Amino acid sequence: MDEWKANLVIKPHKKRSWYLAWKYKLMNQRALRKLCQTGAVLFLLVTVIVNIKLILDTRRAAYEEEEESAQDYDDEMLNVEAPRHPVSNKKVLDVEVYSSRSKVYVAVDGTTVLEDEAREQGRGIHVIVLNQATGHVMAKRVFDTYSPHEDEAMVLFLNMVARGRILIFTIKDEGSFHLKDTAKNVLKSLGSQVAPFLSWRDMWTFVGKKGGEVYGEKHAKSPALSTWGDPVLLKTEVHLTSVEDAECHWPDTELNRRRRRFCSKVEGYGSVCSCKDPTPIEFNPDPLKDNKVFDVPVAVIAGNRPNYLYRMLRSLLSAQGVNPQMITVFIDGYYEEPMDVVELFGLSGIQHTPISIKNARVSQHYKASLTATFNLFPDAKFAVVLEEDLDISVDFFSFLSQSIHLLEEDESLYCISAWNDQGYEHTAEDPSLLYRVETMPGLGWVLRKSLYKDELEPKWPTPEKLWDWDMWMRMPEQRKGRECIIPDISRSYHFGIVGLNMNGYFHEAYFKKHKFNTVPNVQLKNVESLRKDAYETEIHRLLGEAEVLDHSKNPCEDSFVPDTEGKVYVMFIKMEQEADFTTWTQLAKCLHIWDLDVRGNHKGLWRLFRKKNHFLVVGVPASPYSSKKPSSVTPIYMEPPAKEEGAVAVPAVAAAEQT
Amino acid sequence: MQKVNKNAVLALLTLSSLVFLLFQLYYYRSYLAQKNGAVFSKVRGSQLGQDSTRWHVVKKFLGLISSHNIPVYLIDPLILGLVDKDIEQIRSSSDGTSPECKYFCAPRDFTTFALLDKAWKHEVGLLRTAEKMGFQWLKILNKDPRLDGMDDLSGTEIPLHYIFKLASHAIHLVVFYERSGNYLWHGPLRLKQHMDRKFVPFRKLHFGRYPGAYEKPELLLVSIDDLKVQIPKNPSSFLEEMSRSRFLECRYREARAFFQLYPDDASADAVEFRKRAKSLLHLAALTLNNLGVKFWLSSGTCLGWYRQCNVIPYSKDVDLGIFIRDYKADIIPAFQKAGLPLKHKFGKVEDSLELSFQGEGDVKLDIFFFYEEDDHIWNGGTQAKSGKKFKYLFPKFTLCWTEFVELKVHVPCETLQYVEANYGPDWKVPVKTWDWKSSPSNVQYNGVWPVEEWDEVIQIY
Repeated sequence: MDEWKANLVIKPHKKRSWYLAWKYKLMNQRALRKLCQTGAVLFLLVTVIVNIKLILDTRRAAYEEEEESAQDYDDEMLNVEAPRHPVSNKKVLDVEVYSSRSKVYVAVDGTTVLEDEAREQGRGIHVIVLNQATGHVMAKRVFDTYSPHEDEAMVLFLNMVARGRILIFTIKDEGSFHLKDTAKNVLKSLGSQVAPFLSWRDMWTFVGKKGGEVYGEKHAKSPALSTWGDPVLLKTEVHLTSVEDAECHWPDTELNRRRRRFCSKVEGYGSVCSCKDPTPIEFNPDPLKDNKVFDVPVAVIAGNRPNYLYRMLRSLLSAQGVNPQMITVFIDGYYEEPMDVVELFGLSGIQHTPISIKNARVSQHYKASLTATFNLFPDAKFAVVLEEDLDISVDFFSFLSQSIHLLEEDESLYCISAWNDQGYEHTAEDPSLLYRVETMPGLGWVLRKSLYKDELEPKWPTPEKLWDWDMWMRMPEQRKGRECIIPDISRSYHFGIVGLNMNGYFHEAYFKKHKFNTVPNVQLKNVESLRKDAYETEIHRLLGEAEVLDHSKNPCEDSFVPDTEGKVYVMFIKMEQEADFTTWTQLAKCLHIWDLDVRGNHKGLWRLFRKKNHFLVVGVPASPYSSKKPSSVTPIYMEPPAKEEGAVAVPAVAAAEQT
Repeated sequence: MQKVNKNAVLALLTLSSLVFLLFQLYYYRSYLAQKNGAVFSKVRGSQLGQDSTRWHVVKKFLGLISSHNIPVYLIDPLILGLVDKDIEQIRSSSDGTSPECKYFCAPRDFTTFALLDKAWKHEVGLLRTAEKMGFQWLKILNKDPRLDGMDDLSGTEIPLHYIFKLASHAIHLVVFYERSGNYLWHGPLRLKQHMDRKFVPFRKLHFGRYPGAYEKPELLLVSIDDLKVQIPKNPSSFLEEMSRSRFLECRYREARAFFQLYPDDASADAVEFRKRAKSLLHLAALTLNNLGVKFWLSSGTCLGWYRQCNVIPYSKDVDLGIFIRDYKADIIPAFQKAGLPLKHKFGKVEDSLELSFQGEGDVKLDIFFFYEEDDHIWNGGTQAKSGKKFKYLFPKFTLCWTEFVELKVHVPCETLQYVEANYGPDWKVPVKTWDWKSSPSNVQYNGVWPVEEWDEVIQIY
């Protein structure tokens, strides 16, 4: 056919006669012409078929590829993306605020962001902070200004909120009884007309921008002392600003990106979100030389107290020798704000679906956290366990680094704890001194993996048992006579006031005056003498050199201990058998140390400081150290006040539940 | 004239169709080549260019990770295969410059590297630098299986895979995590809905179809094709390990549901038995691994793993399976040396072999030997007093890794069939009275041992 075409094109004129002859001949040969035509059509057909096949093939291949990749590599679970809030370009927010005796609520654009109608709860002024650009809730607080000092906390909080944020106030039940003038003036400065005149059982709602306009205020006066003001409902509109205006202009670094994410979500953390001079979120404390605990995982057990967690992590990350990569924060519940705090510091956080209730919930959370810690760090032989309401001493890791080998080598040890139950301002003195005690203080402690995996984990109290994990760990079945090492001056400080078993009074009485080490790089002395047998030698040496105090005096009086410094004194108290703590409890009470249950003893011996002198208390005859008692000395017996017996028993139960 | 026109039209048509056809054929051919061979076109002229592209991409990637101090090692099966052939030479000449690009230029779509999670935490900088260097990257995150135990924990998702793409080549970076049981684990590669399915041909990846479990490798720093990389010290054994690395996660969610229905026994006896069973299993695993004998969790132990991710507290023994082809005469002395005396031996190597060792505190270790047939696998049982033989039939199975009581062990990959064969469709319901001769749903009567053989096939100590 090529031939035919070539002829057709190249030689049309030169050999015209031949061509014409050929053409006529060809035309006459109809059959041949037919053949050519058929050939051409066939050609076309083939082209079409190939074409179609190609299209089909391509499509099928593409389909198959998709199908196959879908089978092998698709996430099997339908990954339902978290329903994102539609990015609203709306410039105006509708805000509804309700205040009444028994119920308050706040709705932003139809979404309820606060609703509290629980009985006997949530009394006082509820405050909500909204982001002025996005309208997201950044903080929710309630200040029970019916009670004293809560207004101070509110002022503190309001001062921390950045300028430009939208503030929403509403009163539930009563919010004026202890609302002092300072607080009223702060509310007035925010633009409230009513605040200065708020009185007993008034209902009040207010929406305004910090340092800017007022969006609305409503007030209902209480007609009489015995009745409440009528419920008030405030409906108003809030104009949003642009995102750029709502953010600070920090230099674009990795740290500031974390900071920006945090500060656009939550409020109430003070200078960390300050535009001008933000407080650092990276601390870079000095590394420790020869740090034995650099690779020990640190589990921070947290609930929903993000402000506490913030304070705790700051002190933890400032401690010398800290290794942020080993820190995991375990949050009991799906709370966002604690997670935001964790992410602000660039740490890893894990949330735990709550199981069970109250103490059992805490207990299950501990178990899950400890199991996960050893799963995440399968090489670790130990874990440091911390709680969210602890300050961590600057030499916390140095203290552990110097003592951790004891826990590895001495089978008779149960834990190392940073907390001395009896280490108060007036009873602790020597940062380099360590003790062995039969109780487990918790509050910042080191757990051996083998103890957890082989003994504790398999028989950990199940969710239906409403036990405290720490009380359970202190039980003889678990402790099996083993002891903990503690410092004289605590390396942690318990600052939590709000908690499951905590209240302001309790904190004031038992925790506030606790001594906390602030000296860096303390060199611990005689660490080796903490081993089981060496410690006995040490105690006998101490008792040998100790001066016996005058047992005719009242041990509660200050004059019981002479006005010396650096001496060792011993006193003997009555202790009929191992569990007889009658006199000790009375002594502890008058010395203003922990008296709710027995802590800090070692074979009927307590060690503390009085007036900068080492002060030993030996229980006779239960203690093996009774032999050191001169025969002339009669052990002191202190009787519990009879009428208070009932009263003593109650706090003892409360104490059992606490820490 | 009309006739001429008609012919001319016909000719023109034919010509154009011919051209069109040729074009189509050419296109189809190149399409086929693309489909079968390398994704990136394999036109002869640019072959050399392609080869050096791969080398350059790898070089650039190695520069990237070394600038961030990230220790990666090469696990690419194609390259390790090539390297393995010349391993002696490569080991000895650590600095030798090779004239030709032999390994990193070999045709392939990906180069695969491994990264130990422990050795690295801060990724932000890495991905930024990668972008600056011209890499496109894809990060595959998923749930952290180490948190997936009996408690409902949810952490931040962890990175399992990274893919860095530059020009026509891509680097697949697999993140390995250390898990309890002293082994390394990598996750499966699963694309989420919004991800670019065409980023690279995912199906051709060597890692990621399944999760995998590996021993911690010994590494060797070598210089190949003028690039310094770490490789597994023994590439061939790594490749062998890779071929059977598939890992199964325990079904924690189902186990939780099981314990909702049947609360766990937390009595002191149960705790004690579990502790003993665990330490016995650890000892058995150590002994068999030292001998190089492959074993898996069988019978009740396998059921415990599959159903409740734990030892069944009333099961009273630990059951292991071993293929008879892996049998070694050293097994019995090795166990005796480990402090586990032989309790009984039933059957013989040719038929129905079963060994029982006495562990501490009345916990027994039963080892069943499995015999492979064309369409099924079986193991045997013997009743001591009557000499009766029994046969337990299982559908064919392969072995997968899993983690059980802090141990990396094998289980049948087709666990459900295995468990169902043994315990029937109601395996989910705990049964405390179990008769090994009649209770299993796959038991068959298999005759009686001839009396003259009893001394050999029924040995009780």
